[in-house]
Amino acid sequence: MKSTRNLWIYAPVAVMALLSLIPFYILLYLSLNTPSRTMFDGVLMLPDFHFANYVEAWKSSKIGTATVNSLIITVGGVAIIVAASSMAGYAIARYSNKFHAVLFNTLLICMMIPAIIITVPLYSLMKSIGGINTHWAMILLMASNGLPFAVFLYTGFIKGLPREVEESAIIDGCTPFTAFWRVTFHFLRPVTAAVVILQGLAVWNNYGQAVFFLQRESMRTIPLAVSMFFQQYGAQWNLMAAASVIGLAPAVAAFLLFQKYFIKGITAGAVKG
Amino acid sequence: MPLFRAVSNRLHYFMAVPAIVLFALFFIYPLTQGIGISLTDSNGVTQPNFIGLQNFLDFFHDDRAKTDIFNTVFFALGSAPLLNLFGFLYALVLDRTFKGKSVVRALVYLPAVISPLIMGYVWYFILQPGRGFLFHILESMGLKGGNWLAEANSAIVVLILVNVWQFVGMTMIIYLAGLQSIPKELYEAAEIDGAGSGKKLRYITIPMLVQSIKINVVTNIIGSLSVFEIIIALTDGGPGYSTESLSIYILRMLYGSFTGYSTAVAMILFVMIVIPVFVFMRFIRKQEFEM
Repeated sequence: MKSTRNLWIYAPVAVMALLSLIPFYILLYLSLNTPSRTMFDGVLMLPDFHFANYVEAWKSSKIGTATVNSLIITVGGVAIIVAASSMAGYAIARYSNKFHAVLFNTLLICMMIPAIIITVPLYSLMKSIGGINTHWAMILLMASNGLPFAVFLYTGFIKGLPREVEESAIIDGCTPFTAFWRVTFHFLRPVTAAVVILQGLAVWNNYGQAVFFLQRESMRTIPLAVSMFFQQYGAQWNLMAAASVIGLAPAVAAFLLFQKYFIKGITAGAVKG
Repeated sequence: MPLFRAVSNRLHYFMAVPAIVLFALFFIYPLTQGIGISLTDSNGVTQPNFIGLQNFLDFFHDDRAKTDIFNTVFFALGSAPLLNLFGFLYALVLDRTFKGKSVVRALVYLPAVISPLIMGYVWYFILQPGRGFLFHILESMGLKGGNWLAEANSAIVVLILVNVWQFVGMTMIIYLAGLQSIPKELYEAAEIDGAGSGKKLRYITIPMLVQSIKINVVTNIIGSLSVFEIIIALTDGGPGYSTESLSIYILRMLYGSFTGYSTAVAMILFVMIVIPVFVFMRFIRKQEFEM
């Protein structure tokens, strides 16, 4: 009885899954077709499994270099975001004073500012500190972009944690600072997973700022490399698709790896906080 | 050693410092500089002159800017409500227990994982007249597809739908998180009192989701008013300027060395985002008090 009552649910669920997957299928389909077959012919929708596209895309678009650049910037940026915003969130949640209240509200307001708004002054800042076409400056910039939302999530989550978590460690001789790193930080795992996914993707996919600050070919990130492909090589859809698949594979893999903790972290950090 | 101890005992007062330094340097400082630049005729090369509010006055006589404001607002008015509606419906469905539910949740979220730029290119291919995926589907059903991206009115609708498609999973996750934090006892109590599913939705689910609604509406307002990559990939602002958003205009003016003007437009965009967000926050706070 119960199972038949729940059967209706598979219809909307199937539609949702299909809707999400169609563009991925098309991307894969294109990336595996021979150059002569860049359109769909009728109902037969199986690709030619022409894996040579991947080899050629890899060579001609330098997507390998781009992947390394994206990895360096994403890992560096996310590491700084996690360290800086978990500490800031801890300070705001545990030691509430006027200063921390002002800080929290400033960050909330700045969450509303799209990054493009500060591009011009940022460009002259980057120039004067020698940060154009460098990994370190891009890492710091991406980290500062991600801070407001990450601090918001951590603060909400830490407010929901009982103080006893670190109090006993302090009694055992830890300072509040070391108690945070040795004890509290481990309890932050779900919200850290959410921060890693959200901010990691934001950095990985960043285009609007990378286009300004990473102009040298050897410094290009994946969105830049793929967009170059679209602008330079006309209608070679199969190669473009292969390059795109190479570029999005790491993001999809990382998401699938972390997604188990993701909902948990969002629930605890954003929705309850 | 006592000194070290004393320092380390006070270290927790400084835990927000790294975040503050980083944020002040790469965000607050450029923002204040930007306000200054928007009051000059800077072109990024020669020495800028102070021209007061001239850039802002120019903006109101700029026909292209007017079109872009209209496009941006139209896009946001289409995207934000649709995202919230579908995100909410998706969350209601995926909150049920059924086999494979975590797989479907991940699949629905997957589009948001991919760069909007790359996904924009894929949709461009799908919608291409004469050779795209949709063309062949429609043809096999005996229908004819138009060149939707080439006509101003349909192009902006396509952009809205692609945006909703891409970020519905994101909105869904936040609503789902909210749904899962509602205590089941509330529903049980309501059922005992004889409440139907409509009443449960109205008096329990929606009020308990206030925090999720807040986050979703605010992020959707910000995201849709600053839309950028999807338009670049699908229409590049065309035909003409008919789908250009303010963000793209800011970028184009920057490339055209109208640095001061571009920064002024950026400040206007900021105001355009802050006002609806504050109005909404005000509104939702009232709702919270009434509960």
